[in-house]
Amino acid sequence: MSQLQARFFTENKRYVVDDVPFSIPAASEVLELSNVINKLLEAKNASHSKVEFDFLVRGQFLRTSLATHMETEGISTEDVVEIEYVERITAPEAEECMMHDDWISAVDADAEWILTGSYDKTARIWSVEGKAVITVAGHTEVVKDVAWVKRDGLTSLLLTASLDQTLLLWEWNSEQNKVKARHCCRGHTASVDAVATDPTGSRFCSGSWDKMLKIWSAVPTDEADEVGEPADRPRKKQKTQQLGLTRTPLMTLSGHNEAVSSVLWTDSEEVCSASWDHTIRIWDIETGGMKTTLTGSKVFNCISYSPLCRRLASGSTDRHIRLWDPRTKDGSLVQLSLTSHTGWVTAVKWAPSHEYQLVSGSLDNLVKLWDTRSCKAPLYDLAAHEDKVFCVDWTESGLMLSGGADNKLYTYRCSAGPTDAGA
Amino acid sequence: MLSQCCTPYAPTCCTMEESSSSMRSSEQKEEMKKVSEKTVKKRSKEEEDAEPDEVFNFKCTEKEEEEEDVTDSEDSVFSGLEDSLSDSADDDDDDDDDDDEDQKVEPEQTPQEGAAQEDEYKQDSSDEEDIRNTVGNIPMEWYKDFPHIGYNLDGKKIYKPIRNKDELDEFLDKMEDPNYWRTVHDKQTGSDIVLSDEQVELVKRLQRGQFGDVNFNEYQPQVEFFSEDLMIHPVTNRPADKRSFIPSLIEKEKVSKLVHAIKMGWIKPRRTEDASRGSYYDLWANEDSSILANHKMHLPAPKIPLPGHQESYNPPPEYLFTDEERALWEQQDVSDRKLPFVPRKFSSLRQVPSFPRFLHERFERCLDLYLCPRQRKMRVNVNPDDLIPKLPKPKDLQPFPTTQSLVYRGHSGLVRSISVSPSGQWLASGSDDGSVRFWEVCSSRCMRTVQVGGAVKSIAWNPNPLVSLLAVAQDSVVLILSPSLADRQVLLSTEQLLSDQWEAESAEEDGPVKWINLEGEELSQGIRIKIQHPKAVHQVTWHAKGDYLASVMPDHSSHLQVFIHQVSRRRSQNPFRKSKGLVQCVSFHPVRPYFFVGTQRSVRIYNLVKQEMTKKLQANSKWISSMAVHPGGDHVICGSYDCRLSWFDLDLSTKPYKMLRHHKKAVRGVAYHRLYPLFASASDDGSVIVCHGTVYSDLLQNPLIVPVKVLRGHVITHDLGVLDVTFHPTQPWIFSSGADGTIRLFT
Repeated sequence: MSQLQARFFTENKRYVVDDVPFSIPAASEVLELSNVINKLLEAKNASHSKVEFDFLVRGQFLRTSLATHMETEGISTEDVVEIEYVERITAPEAEECMMHDDWISAVDADAEWILTGSYDKTARIWSVEGKAVITVAGHTEVVKDVAWVKRDGLTSLLLTASLDQTLLLWEWNSEQNKVKARHCCRGHTASVDAVATDPTGSRFCSGSWDKMLKIWSAVPTDEADEVGEPADRPRKKQKTQQLGLTRTPLMTLSGHNEAVSSVLWTDSEEVCSASWDHTIRIWDIETGGMKTTLTGSKVFNCISYSPLCRRLASGSTDRHIRLWDPRTKDGSLVQLSLTSHTGWVTAVKWAPSHEYQLVSGSLDNLVKLWDTRSCKAPLYDLAAHEDKVFCVDWTESGLMLSGGADNKLYTYRCSAGPTDAGA
Repeated sequence: MLSQCCTPYAPTCCTMEESSSSMRSSEQKEEMKKVSEKTVKKRSKEEEDAEPDEVFNFKCTEKEEEEEDVTDSEDSVFSGLEDSLSDSADDDDDDDDDDDEDQKVEPEQTPQEGAAQEDEYKQDSSDEEDIRNTVGNIPMEWYKDFPHIGYNLDGKKIYKPIRNKDELDEFLDKMEDPNYWRTVHDKQTGSDIVLSDEQVELVKRLQRGQFGDVNFNEYQPQVEFFSEDLMIHPVTNRPADKRSFIPSLIEKEKVSKLVHAIKMGWIKPRRTEDASRGSYYDLWANEDSSILANHKMHLPAPKIPLPGHQESYNPPPEYLFTDEERALWEQQDVSDRKLPFVPRKFSSLRQVPSFPRFLHERFERCLDLYLCPRQRKMRVNVNPDDLIPKLPKPKDLQPFPTTQSLVYRGHSGLVRSISVSPSGQWLASGSDDGSVRFWEVCSSRCMRTVQVGGAVKSIAWNPNPLVSLLAVAQDSVVLILSPSLADRQVLLSTEQLLSDQWEAESAEEDGPVKWINLEGEELSQGIRIKIQHPKAVHQVTWHAKGDYLASVMPDHSSHLQVFIHQVSRRRSQNPFRKSKGLVQCVSFHPVRPYFFVGTQRSVRIYNLVKQEMTKKLQANSKWISSMAVHPGGDHVICGSYDCRLSWFDLDLSTKPYKMLRHHKKAVRGVAYHRLYPLFASASDDGSVIVCHGTVYSDLLQNPLIVPVKVLRGHVITHDLGVLDVTFHPTQPWIFSSGADGTIRLFT
């Protein structure tokens, strides 16, 4: 058992080696295998410079010696082992640190701008380089969630959800650097904890502590919706404070028994929500009905959906990140559990351009980068934060962000080669 | 060797022979190395002595030999005999040497002996014809008429002697010759032979039937060559027969016949002897199953314990008495002694003396057996594990809080009391630092801090989800706070509730309790009403509907210990006329109009509608500290300062259904979960113990109580650990507040 027959292959054209079985020592680990591949590439191409590789045996990352890995996975050592190799993702490095005045509750970033919501009742816009652009103040309570809606040239629409039971739809002109509250979305009777914009940017969905999901129009108009509430003294009082025109929901989705903690759009007609009642529910927006319920055993804090692998990742109040297939109809089907955190998982986010990678934040002050092919241990622990992590994000351009109770928003650049992305 | 031991030599020769042979034998012995050193030395000495003798002897042999003819011949005879009998090589060598010597000697002897033997042949030959006359043994009458009587060897005639003797001569000879009677006429030679005396004697002996030889002893002692004695040599030297090497055909035939007979069943194997026959009945083998044991009332004699190491004649040293132990043993009364003897050590079993107390001991044993009254004991063998009730494993009773998830930090003093809002979103805590803090449960964020100006003893969130009010006990006032963290609608209804009584307020001014509306700064903090009590308030608790509020002022002397306030009407009343003890805590029944009052030793249950006491629960503890009522209303748990937690089943008895003594120190707080079958107790030892307590709607089934988890995390400060504990209203989470100024959430 000292030697194994192995055949190496890769998707990456740059690093292809001959498709012949090699005899390699069974005790060899990633480093030795990487050296083998580098030797082979050098023999083939003199100008090859050394590259670190990672190895996958039947879709699982090799983390121990080859022999022990195959023993634990129950792979026969008699046959020729197919080993896939990919360029190793180097550790993400913290690039920028953006100081806030208070805890950061939410972050949403696109290619240019970063939007954060904070416990100081404001939202802030930052450039990706870490420069503070504008502070969006208007809520009377803590901002719990933020979302970009649409970018139209220099003007952008953004949303903030707050503990004061309202959502505000803002219009921001990046040239003049002016922000204007266009609509105040009223209807929730408790703190609004989650907001998500649909892929077209015409609607958004909000989830609240009052167990409701509400669908709103994201198109700014110049007239206020009729508020169907009896005229009252406190209302008068609020009206004076109100920013923007009142907007009422298009639709209310009720069904959760507990607070809704996270919402997202899986496509333009489907909303997925996670709740404290231990369920993830998928709603059809056209009919307003519930399609599927995935039942877990713990409170869900956050969910994320990857259109690449069509899977949901959920973070709950136990230490696990669970991967779900939302298309299954029969009850709960946890496909995989990623366990390494030691506290509640407060945020998860799939890589927008990578099928297997996701990032998670937890109350144990750690942000972890995961690869679902290596479910035993994360790829990297990002230990930049000094306090609880509340939010993470991952932009299309490969920028990872995390914010937490230490008032800092960190950005990380994941230096995975562009060849590897979009697999 | 043989020659040495059995030679009847003549003394002179003997010296030579013996010395030489002894020399040789000693050499052999040396070669064989079978002889002890002493003998070797002795022999070697003899050798030294013998050697000069030998030289001497060789010189004198020629002189002596003539005298020793006879003995030598005898010697040769003996040696020949020995030779024929001897088997061993040693003896052969020995004898060969002897022979050689004999041969040397013999040629010298032959001339003398040869003459003697020639003579002897001539006389003795009886078989051969008389060669003086060759005619043979024929009747001599045939030569009567001839002048000769035969022929000699050369063929010449032997002439008859001239017959000059006639009968007369013969007669004369007969008369005159004195040798006549011994004169014999030889017919063959025709001569007369006068027999000598010896010959006459021989004739006479033969006539008597005796052996001719005088010296022959016909009664020689018999030498038995075959005797009962085991000899080293075989009787015969005959080689073994061939048949002794080849299997016997006869035997084969016989065996095959037997085998065939066994096969056919004609011969049966020998019948085995019956084992029981001849063996003896073992009286002691199985005493209990003996005949006696068949008796219904048989009581087997108690067995003597088997001897241990102390009884050993050579015990390990730790069993031997030290001097102190021996002294103690000697001092003790006989009946008090642990051992009836002193262990002693002997180097060997031989040295063990006889046991002096043997008879005494046997006697006592017999006395015991005889006099000791025996009693029939019904022994029940129960596996101790079976006595433990079968409890489900904690793993199967999930969910329950297991790990610490969040720590709410901010208070600077010990946190006496915590309360969770009915929605489960907010947590309120009251501390000794004079502040009430509101926390967001899911993020441990302190959302609001209200300074109330004194140590907060107790805090209670209004259980009505439609109003958002918090009752705070601080010194002698109960404050009603509106934290304004809730929905607009809720705030609206809260406002309504608080403003409703505003009109009816003035009527109830004159009681011991004063209701004061607050304004200004305190109002902006959210404190709405202040209820002034005559004494320090220790506990506040709400009725499930959220309108009534009870406050406790422990005091021995007064009957003014408990007040029930109605918030909507701003009315207070004292339900009890008499003091029944120091009231520790009170609680409303969740559904029925009952009121639980916990005093130091007992819990009294009052029916508020009928205005009477319905039940008094006896907690078997010294000082009740806290009390919680099951959401179903039929069970109560009480924590006490003497580390106990008692569970009362109100339908069952006034005694505790179960006492749990898991805490090491005083129990400070107890709590039930509203939905899950969980209850918890907090203690000064810094731990919170979560127990599973299923209550069955079936009245026949008792509650199942299983401790499932010990939660630790709080630091013990000033000998105080966890002061209050409360469950999340919807999740299986538990909050605990401690003397270290923190609140911890376990999930």
